[in-house]
Amino acid sequence: MSIASSAQCLRCIGRTSLSSSRSSTWRAFSKASRQEASLNTTSSSSPPIEPTLTRQTSTPVTSTPLQTDPSESTRRQAVRKELKDPIPFEQLPYECFQEARKILQADREEKLGQIEIQRGRIARLVEQDASVSGGNVAKRKRLESMRQRLEELKILADINDPLVKKRFEDGLGDMDKPIYRHLAYKKWIAYKRKVAMQRITQMSVIPDVLPSIEPILDVDMNFDRVRVQPGNFIMSTTSERTPTFNVQSFAAGERLYTVAVIDPDIPNIDTDNFDHKCLFLATNVPISPTSPKVDVASLPDASVAHSWLPPVAQMGAPYHRISAFILRQPHGTTIDVEALKGQYPRDNLWLRDMVKKHSLRPMGVTMFRSMWDEGTDGVMERAGIEGVDMEFQRPPPEKLPYKKKPGWKFR
Amino acid sequence: MPFQPQVSPFSTSATLLARKKERPKKDKRITELRYHLMHPQTPRPLRFGRSRYLRHWTIHRAWQLYRRQQREARERELQRLYHSMRDACEELRHMDELGNRAPLSDATPGVIEDEGGEAETREQVRARPTGKEVGRLYRKAMKKQDVWKGFPIEYARPLTDYPSRDGWNIGWKRP
Repeated sequence: MSIASSAQCLRCIGRTSLSSSRSSTWRAFSKASRQEASLNTTSSSSPPIEPTLTRQTSTPVTSTPLQTDPSESTRRQAVRKELKDPIPFEQLPYECFQEARKILQADREEKLGQIEIQRGRIARLVEQDASVSGGNVAKRKRLESMRQRLEELKILADINDPLVKKRFEDGLGDMDKPIYRHLAYKKWIAYKRKVAMQRITQMSVIPDVLPSIEPILDVDMNFDRVRVQPGNFIMSTTSERTPTFNVQSFAAGERLYTVAVIDPDIPNIDTDNFDHKCLFLATNVPISPTSPKVDVASLPDASVAHSWLPPVAQMGAPYHRISAFILRQPHGTTIDVEALKGQYPRDNLWLRDMVKKHSLRPMGVTMFRSMWDEGTDGVMERAGIEGVDMEFQRPPPEKLPYKKKPGWKFR
Repeated sequence: MPFQPQVSPFSTSATLLARKKERPKKDKRITELRYHLMHPQTPRPLRFGRSRYLRHWTIHRAWQLYRRQQREARERELQRLYHSMRDACEELRHMDELGNRAPLSDATPGVIEDEGGEAETREQVRARPTGKEVGRLYRKAMKKQDVWKGFPIEYARPLTDYPSRDGWNIGWKRP
């Protein structure tokens, strides 16, 4: 307590000076003396000029060194200094933190060494004759597993870096780097994928449109500002606009995809059943981790087989499930759009058939629901869809055949 | 089926709570939990700023990594001990009383290579020691007789971290 006895405690200095000054300056403060008081910065602070002073000292217009202003509290000065010239995160002076960083860095060095070794091994195996490595199949399998291990090592080298974590949480992660792709994949699989899977299975999109799917692409669908939550009801006037897809892939490299939007709930009165209809079909759409945007409106004509047709549900009909599928094309193959258009017209497009014929692989899925609302009539008129004046009704139940009551029972 | 918006509120608790008589009774466990959680002596939940959270995370990851390294080193050492023990036993199995190596039981002549890398001839293999003395030490070792000689047999089971409830029985005799 020697400090307290000899000098005043640092915490108390500001407070006592403030309270003592208040009684004198505050009361003597008048409109005439305001200008004078604001100029005399060596005097103690006065609340009315505080905002002005803060503005004066905080604007970085003048590139002079930090202005020390006695009217400013020590704490605020320290904060301003910290904001102006912050210590880099890795150099923060905490002993345990620094020791921890040493351990993590040593581990990273080790992992980098392992990556180099693995790369050398892969290069050697690539050059090796297939007969030495036990046949072509064995060699390919071994190479595949070695490359997988290499990818794992790349992730392990960076996963313990706090700055990587920070950048990812801020959404600044570079999707070209394996670690950010890995983190994004983990985040997606933890919640978003589960929700999408639940919706498409609950609403039976999965056995109805395609037999099964194991999504590995994060698909978002937007109508301008409206984001589609999987399974939501979307207003017909909203879905009239062309959608934008955000297809996040978690594997390196660019691939070509086919995008299909299918409505499997078009009522057919003749067959007393439901037909499929394709609302949108585009092929040879390049998607990579860094370019996930697919804007339906600005896709080149050469890749669009069926342009966007607004989904509509007629009055009285059950809701329509509008499902969007992202299908990966085989390596290095493009699909002829004209042929596709001829082969698969809009009506009754059977997606299973298309997937099988072109060896497509379903990779991403999302869906929304559409039902009759006030805007539907206008949407149908504008899109030239027939049946605006139609309303669906359930047929009255058939009468049961008359059956004579057994008279002996009621005698 | 046309869309029918929900008109009445989903929950009726607001109107029920207004009447004191019909207010549902709180579970006693909930009351207890709330009492202790809201108590001023209960420390507030751990809340960190961004930088501090990241530092905390860094230290946590380093600690996990360090423990993993330790565990793996221990496992490697145990593996090494086990393998050298196994090799020693294998040597004993093929050894006769003079310390010569006997042929493997399933060995075919002319196949086994000795340390020089040359295949043994049929004669050499035939000249290798055989008989009941081969592997005698191994067989004796595997019987594990008198392994616990001088130790209480109780040590043969895993020892616990805690002392016995009854204390140390100093008058214990081997039954």
